[in-house]
Amino acid sequence: MILADFGTSYCKFLDTEGLDKPTITATKELPPRLRVDIATGHNGQRFAKEYVNELIALARGGERLITDDNYVLLDCGSRDIKFIKYAGGRVADMGWNTECGASMGFTIELLARYYDLDYQHIPPPSRTFSVTCGVLGMSNIFDAIIDGTPAAEAVASFVKGIAVNAYRFAGSPARLYLSGGLCANPIFTGSLPCEVIPLGRFVLLEGLLNRNCSAASPSKLRTNSELNG
Amino acid sequence: MNICQTKWQLPAPPRKAGIVGMPPRQVIQYLNDQGTAIHDLDAKLVPDSIEGTAPYLPRVYCAILRTVVLNALRLSLDAVYIDVGTGKCDAALHVSTILTNILSIPVIRTINRDKQNFGTPVCRTRLALLEKFLTITEGVKYHRPQDGVNFKPCQPRAGFWGVPPRDFSLLELFPDTTHIYGWTRCMENKTPAAEDLELYYNPAIPTVFFAQSFCAKTGLAKFLADRHPSALYLDADYNCGGSAKAKIQAFLELSGAYQ
Repeated sequence: MILADFGTSYCKFLDTEGLDKPTITATKELPPRLRVDIATGHNGQRFAKEYVNELIALARGGERLITDDNYVLLDCGSRDIKFIKYAGGRVADMGWNTECGASMGFTIELLARYYDLDYQHIPPPSRTFSVTCGVLGMSNIFDAIIDGTPAAEAVASFVKGIAVNAYRFAGSPARLYLSGGLCANPIFTGSLPCEVIPLGRFVLLEGLLNRNCSAASPSKLRTNSELNG
Repeated sequence: MNICQTKWQLPAPPRKAGIVGMPPRQVIQYLNDQGTAIHDLDAKLVPDSIEGTAPYLPRVYCAILRTVVLNALRLSLDAVYIDVGTGKCDAALHVSTILTNILSIPVIRTINRDKQNFGTPVCRTRLALLEKFLTITEGVKYHRPQDGVNFKPCQPRAGFWGVPPRDFSLLELFPDTTHIYGWTRCMENKTPAAEDLELYYNPAIPTVFFAQSFCAKTGLAKFLADRHPSALYLDADYNCGGSAKAKIQAFLELSGAYQ
């Protein structure tokens, strides 16, 4: 059975009867006739026999990976951010922001390419830009660069602003479980003003696995290398 | 006295009247007795673009009241009865001013203080939520209540608190065992200003607290959702988008409402 998380920028696939590890493909390189068995992600309905909405996949993935009864799990994608909060083992709150959190992950990646930056080698910024969305927040970067701030520092302040915004969107928890490609961005994870537990970018695939497996069964997808980016 | 304006009985009974909110039963009974065709202007009645209201209302405004203005502009009505009391909303008062100035027909303000309880069997029965809302909103055109015999109560698995949404498609996501609370329950009870009834919710069932974006009831919906142990606060504008529907679906599934 082929499971897939069709993200805006990247798609993650898992063959449950084949390789243990999932594969990643850039969304722009997807073959148009591709078909999978179960999918999530906002592109998923185009390619799948069965579709699971992203919040449900995120929640089910959290149930497999997190042993606490009380937690907040935040997924930061290319296009949107979403979170699920559990209290006493029950769903207590959730959110899905496609407007004010729009294009955060995508913008962070675009900026790195344009300014030729490697987030692994940029020191954490002291300054935080007030950022409500990826597109609107970019003017802060341009203004800072005009004022003489190095591009790397300006972009890092922007990423920090995005992280703080995402943290507030998730309800400002003391501990935050993080899902998505930004788990591998040290500027982003280091800017979240709370304890951060990165779960990697396959949490939604875990959620699809959870449809057919016991929540207590061991994860096939969560590896140390993935968690460490 | 319920009625705001003393001359609400027009010299010639209107053939077609629009209502906004829930005018008092006395007014509805008068219109029913006269054989007047009543149009609920809060509902989507004409296919025209909502942009037709842009000359009169800001684009960032309650979608229900924008719909009221669009309906009033497009339908050939003889009169509009608009409730402006606490049983509707502050903004309806201002919309009544606008309608008075842009329409050439009588626009009659009312304040509904009806207190007689007629019961809420539709809100508590097992039926598709969409059908429940259609039944309740249709009921505002009649001074007599629904025949409760046809609506047996069921055990609720989910709750919907709030006003009838501008976009009814979101109602299709709920199980048939969803009970209705909030102002919609007040509508069925024919007491739209009954604050205690509007504030009531069931803490034992997962409940979506809904209000139209840019409506003052968003504050109440958020407040009550924060008090409820298993709640989702939601507001939606003209149409309910994919992410809002996904939130409802995820909330109901993860709360066990579909089981």
